[in-house]
Amino acid sequence: MRYAIPTSRRQILQRTGFGVGAMALQSMLGDESRLLASDVTADFNRSNPLAAKPPHFAPKAKRIIHLHMVGSPSHLDLYDPKPQLVKHHGELCPDFMYKGKKFAFLRSQPTLFGTPDDWGFKKCGESGTEISGLLPNLQGVADELCMIRSLHTDEFNHGPAQLFLLSGFGRFGRPSLGSWITYGLGSENRDLPGFVVLITGNVLGAGNSAWGSGFLPTVYQGVEFRSKGDPVLYLSNPPGVSDSTRRQIIDSVNAINRESLLDVNDPEISTRIDQYEMAYRMQTSVPELMEIDDESQATHERYGTTHRKGGEGKGKPSFANNCLLARRLVERGVRFVQLFDQGWDHHSGLKNSLPRKCKQVDRPIAALIEDLRQRGLLDETLVVWSAEFGRTPMAQGRNGLGKKSAPGRDHHRDAFTVWMAGGGSKAGTVYGQTDEWGYNIVENPVHVHDLNATILDLMGLNHERLTYRHQGRQYRLTDVHGVVQEGVKN
Amino acid sequence: MAAAEESAFEKEIEPLLRKHCYRCHAGQNEEAGLLLDRAAGLLGTADSDEPIIVPGNADASLLMHRLGDEDYGDLMPLDGEPLPATAQSAIRAWVDSGAEFPKNWKASEHWAYAKPQQVTPPSFSERRNGLNSVDAFIAARLAEEGLTLASPAPSDVLARRVSLALTGLPATREQVLRLRNDSSDANYEALVDELLGSPAFGQHWARHWLDLARYADSNGFQADQLRDAWAYRDWVVDAFTNDLPFDQFVTEQLAGDLLPNANLQTRIATGFHRTPTCNIEAGVHPEANRVNQVFDRVNTTATVFLGSTLECAQCHDHKYDPFTQEDYYRLFAFFNNTPIEVEKVAGVQFDFVGPKMDLPMDEKQAKQTSALRNELEQLRKRQAAELAKDDFESWRTRTQQSLAAGRSEWITPTPEFGSSDNAPFRILDDGSVLIEGGLPKTVSYTFRYNQTLFESKWPILAVRLDALRDPSLPGGGPGRGDPERTNFVLHECDVNVVSTQETRSVDLCNASASFSQANYDVGKAIDDDQKTGWAIAPQFTDSHWAEFQLTEPIQIQPGESLTVTLQQNYGRGRITGRPKISFLVGPEESAGITDEIAELLLREAPLKPGELKTLRDLHRSRNTVVTKLDQSIKKTEKKLDEIKPPSTLVMVEMEQPRKTFVMERGDYLAPGQPVSPGTPSSLHPFDDAWPKNRLGLAKWITDRNNPLLARVTVNRFWMHVFGKGIVATPEDFGTQADMPSHPELLDWLANDFQNHRSVKQLLKTLVMSATFRQTSRVSDELLALDPDNRLLGRGARFRMPAEMIRDNALRIAGLLSEASGGEPVMPYQPDGIWKAVGRGQPKWKAAEDERRFRRGLYVVWKRGAPYPSFVTFDAPDRASCTVGRPTTNTPLQALVLLNDRVYAEASLALASRMIRECDSQNPRDVAALGYELACARSASDPTLDVLVQIYLDEKQRLADSPQDIEARLELLPKVFRDTESPAIELAAWFAVASTLLNLDVTITQN
Repeated sequence: MRYAIPTSRRQILQRTGFGVGAMALQSMLGDESRLLASDVTADFNRSNPLAAKPPHFAPKAKRIIHLHMVGSPSHLDLYDPKPQLVKHHGELCPDFMYKGKKFAFLRSQPTLFGTPDDWGFKKCGESGTEISGLLPNLQGVADELCMIRSLHTDEFNHGPAQLFLLSGFGRFGRPSLGSWITYGLGSENRDLPGFVVLITGNVLGAGNSAWGSGFLPTVYQGVEFRSKGDPVLYLSNPPGVSDSTRRQIIDSVNAINRESLLDVNDPEISTRIDQYEMAYRMQTSVPELMEIDDESQATHERYGTTHRKGGEGKGKPSFANNCLLARRLVERGVRFVQLFDQGWDHHSGLKNSLPRKCKQVDRPIAALIEDLRQRGLLDETLVVWSAEFGRTPMAQGRNGLGKKSAPGRDHHRDAFTVWMAGGGSKAGTVYGQTDEWGYNIVENPVHVHDLNATILDLMGLNHERLTYRHQGRQYRLTDVHGVVQEGVKN
Repeated sequence: MAAAEESAFEKEIEPLLRKHCYRCHAGQNEEAGLLLDRAAGLLGTADSDEPIIVPGNADASLLMHRLGDEDYGDLMPLDGEPLPATAQSAIRAWVDSGAEFPKNWKASEHWAYAKPQQVTPPSFSERRNGLNSVDAFIAARLAEEGLTLASPAPSDVLARRVSLALTGLPATREQVLRLRNDSSDANYEALVDELLGSPAFGQHWARHWLDLARYADSNGFQADQLRDAWAYRDWVVDAFTNDLPFDQFVTEQLAGDLLPNANLQTRIATGFHRTPTCNIEAGVHPEANRVNQVFDRVNTTATVFLGSTLECAQCHDHKYDPFTQEDYYRLFAFFNNTPIEVEKVAGVQFDFVGPKMDLPMDEKQAKQTSALRNELEQLRKRQAAELAKDDFESWRTRTQQSLAAGRSEWITPTPEFGSSDNAPFRILDDGSVLIEGGLPKTVSYTFRYNQTLFESKWPILAVRLDALRDPSLPGGGPGRGDPERTNFVLHECDVNVVSTQETRSVDLCNASASFSQANYDVGKAIDDDQKTGWAIAPQFTDSHWAEFQLTEPIQIQPGESLTVTLQQNYGRGRITGRPKISFLVGPEESAGITDEIAELLLREAPLKPGELKTLRDLHRSRNTVVTKLDQSIKKTEKKLDEIKPPSTLVMVEMEQPRKTFVMERGDYLAPGQPVSPGTPSSLHPFDDAWPKNRLGLAKWITDRNNPLLARVTVNRFWMHVFGKGIVATPEDFGTQADMPSHPELLDWLANDFQNHRSVKQLLKTLVMSATFRQTSRVSDELLALDPDNRLLGRGARFRMPAEMIRDNALRIAGLLSEASGGEPVMPYQPDGIWKAVGRGQPKWKAAEDERRFRRGLYVVWKRGAPYPSFVTFDAPDRASCTVGRPTTNTPLQALVLLNDRVYAEASLALASRMIRECDSQNPRDVAALGYELACARSASDPTLDVLVQIYLDEKQRLADSPQDIEARLELLPKVFRDTESPAIELAAWFAVASTLLNLDVTITQN
């Protein structure tokens, strides 16, 4: 290093309330910087917006792993058994289910569709929570789950419903749940982003807005760790650039930037110097994180990874790999890990598709919960399993002659199931209840806004106070709604 | 004394109350019965009977408790962070000093809803050359704090700064040197005029505007297909380049189609409101989508032209600003009359429709079109001539003779069969082939026939495929892929004559079939296009046939054989399971002569007129010259059809306007009372003379009585030039907005702008000011006093926006393409970005020509996956209107500049430029030139030390690793490579160039 930060500058910056490693910068937070000199938010760490921040009150959870099944599997076949439906399988559905209702696909009065017998629900564990036989491994951790059978949403097309669940608004432009939480709490890891996204299959309909920062500064948007190519975009050096060259380029950039800092005194420059150092660290820390080779054979088998130590499909990206990565990420203090898995939109061929998809996720999800528990991480890590909406108790299926093809289920927004595990959620609970058809909620309805309010609450954030001023309004994740559901908290 | 404290309240305290308290405790919002926007409220008591404020005693004032003491309950405000300590102590000091405020004080009407005041710039206390009216306001405010404007920036810095501010590109070396040699005001002004007149000016300001217009090249949502709207983008560029008067600029975008003198350009301008996202996912409800688009148009109109957030009023009256829910839907009514944009194409599949307008063809297309039209005319003439010949009688005689000699008949010889997947098969008694075995995704079947099978003296006239059902097929066939949907798709039927010497293709024509599926007409099986084909959904439960005539009858010669190939590429086993091939053999004239026709031909008695016509039609259809010409005509017509002029999305008013209702809770399924088009009554009136349509709305918006448009507009331009707006919330001028830092300046600029309506003049006023030309160096004292530079006691300094960072690097490297306009381009981006979105179509193919290095403005903008390095530098996804992007500073940005191939390519090109353009080979001189190219100023000695050192170290490293030299030189596509300069020099200077492109100075507008 040829230049040192001069002592006088350090003193000056300390005097104005900023540390050395994290010196002041102006406009990191668009709105907060839009203040006259007399109204500067003094206690806000403007130099490092990702610095860990205290929550509003003592949190139950410190980190979140959010597993979203893109397309939305049927709550009726996985979590919310309906013998009545099985009994009346094949009969025309009652009028209340169809008349005057809007569906994405159903256009004539459909028949009822009971869960096939061989998927057999079972009362599991001490709690006796009923879980489908399609999820045998999840049955094994039933006592860790807090199942909410009474979720409902406002939207019934995929894109809007995904946006609604994940940003509290059915159209584009709002920050995602992960962005809000990273904005509220910052990150505990200096070498990795605070909000990481892992995807199997295609990107969902909501696109990258599902992990976007909306009107929040873009530092809070999710960073996708990709399973092909650079795990983080632009992570590798260009061809012909060795590590020693890279190091010297960064040293040279920072040396000259330090000189500029002396010249013009713009605190933004010192932040940039820090960011170049962090970029360099990320070039090492991210590949290390993604390299799951050092995990034990037993771990790979437990998750069913597609690693060479794992099972079938070696070398391919998989949801199992991502579950293992999620554990590695929260271990390193990453605040919010969002997993997406595509392929759950079963309008037809439910009998083949649902078991096939369940097979891909059942083992890794159960392994993740068990692994977190054994490592003592589950208490402080909230695992959320979600879908953007539920499915109809009625069958959907058609071919060109109007003849039924292998049936599936249409979208349903009035009732569906999500579950949580760990992180201060009430283990071994079933909360809320749907009617005998699984169509309407009859007890403890939980709106998407209520769910998000509760998630924030478990993280120690008051959803009414976690706001951001934009377009003259204090925006929040839950709009002007949301009630924390005490019944699902430990 | 009293007067001074009054002003202290209004200046310091009231803005804090306004910002933090009014949203629940002012006007109609009376939470807990408390109003803080008037004297009575401040001096009143709470429900608990405690006084809100005890003048002179902050500790006894409930206000202070609720702001800072949690023992009194959750800290206020409940919906946000507690007040910063500085703000709390200011209020505390004011209360302790007696809490003085004007008698019977009540918060005044919101400033932004009153017309801008006529203000005269304050006079200067200090005389300095080159000060203009802007400076008068800035200096006066600085003087209140005992400050002055800073000294001017060095001329090099200024040249670069003003060029970046006006054109988004750095000054050329020549421009820098010119100002360095003569930094007079006159010479600076000449540079400003030159920049204002450059094409880059229009491109730069269009890019800002397109964030507001949420312009993108795709629909958004799940499908996210590309759409053509780039003509609108080019229109915006031209509008700024030509300095279209601003009111006209606004009017044409809102209502260019409704203007009395509407023309191509004004219609293109309406693309402004054809940019909203559009959801076409299966199962979407088109009307819901349409209503969302209209919401977006109303909200965007209010944000862009009124600086107002109307969104809240969708569901209920606005909580803070004077807009009712009815106001909202009256505005909605203006936009409620354009056609729906999502249409069902089949079943639950939807497509993006809505008004498009053809643009004039480009030169190449126009040439092709006229050539084809000529050709078509010739062909038609020849055909007419042929038809005029009238050899009906001779044909009649010939045909009668050949009918007497023999009738044509269908034969089904036994083929030698082969399937591309070598599937097992059985040839059944009827000559059909039943295929068995595993199901291939795609397949081609070949039927081969020896010459000996065609011993008839007559030629082959036609070929026929029977796609038969069979109990052994899934669902009984005819397809093999699915027991429910027993479809197949025949993409091509090829007939060839094969001999040891050659394979001769046989032309087929006049396809007919038992049935064709929509969009899968049987003709598509012989159109030489492997992507189109014949299929039969939904008639799954029948056998089907297709017949194809041979254009020329053929006779198979000894030694030759005939093959018929059936290409079936659809996938998922949509292939025939039991095909049968037959041939029509007979005298040429007898082909296709039915018994009925034969009877007519052979009848002795005279024919009735109708019967004669039947024969004449038949004759016409069998004249091979005519039918061949027919085919040529069809082909030419198809070619003509395929030349599609480019098109663009426009607004079009429906003849029958829709009725508009207030939507309860914003739900379009819950219509309330009907409303007609109108504007909010709290703003200036809508003139009765104006039409009640978008044109009238545009007139209302551009009316001089509108208090908002000019202010909102000048504030945004100010923000782009100075980094921050005079009103720091450029998207919101409502009651919750921050107060302007310089209210009089804002009004003065607004009035001036209303008078001249010229964006160029406005910008010239800004950049000619001494305020703009100040140095951005800041003393520690000033930094502490004004960390955000709201008072502008120094020059603005901020990181460039995303596209500019790339444009700047490409310009420095000498790679930037000057080309402009037209279809969006695909430069380099990392693999796989587009793969996962928008049904995987189209594929990203990085350009290898000048389009690789166009300005960022022209990069294709896909909402589901925008150009990733732009996103990293805070570009929005353009799914909704964005006013002012955030400016973050992250490690991911460092990774882009260090590793993105674009910047690696630019580094290599810059290295080459340094070597080529430097007069000497002394590394210090080369490095100095590089720094000057990148930063437009001279490098200091310590900087040069660093740069030379990395060059020397690199040379050493590279000497040991020649593969790294090679890898670096291969970064650029071939046409852009420097093959003259020594390889090791290029590779070593590459590291220096990369350093230069990463510097804070390089990416900062300073």
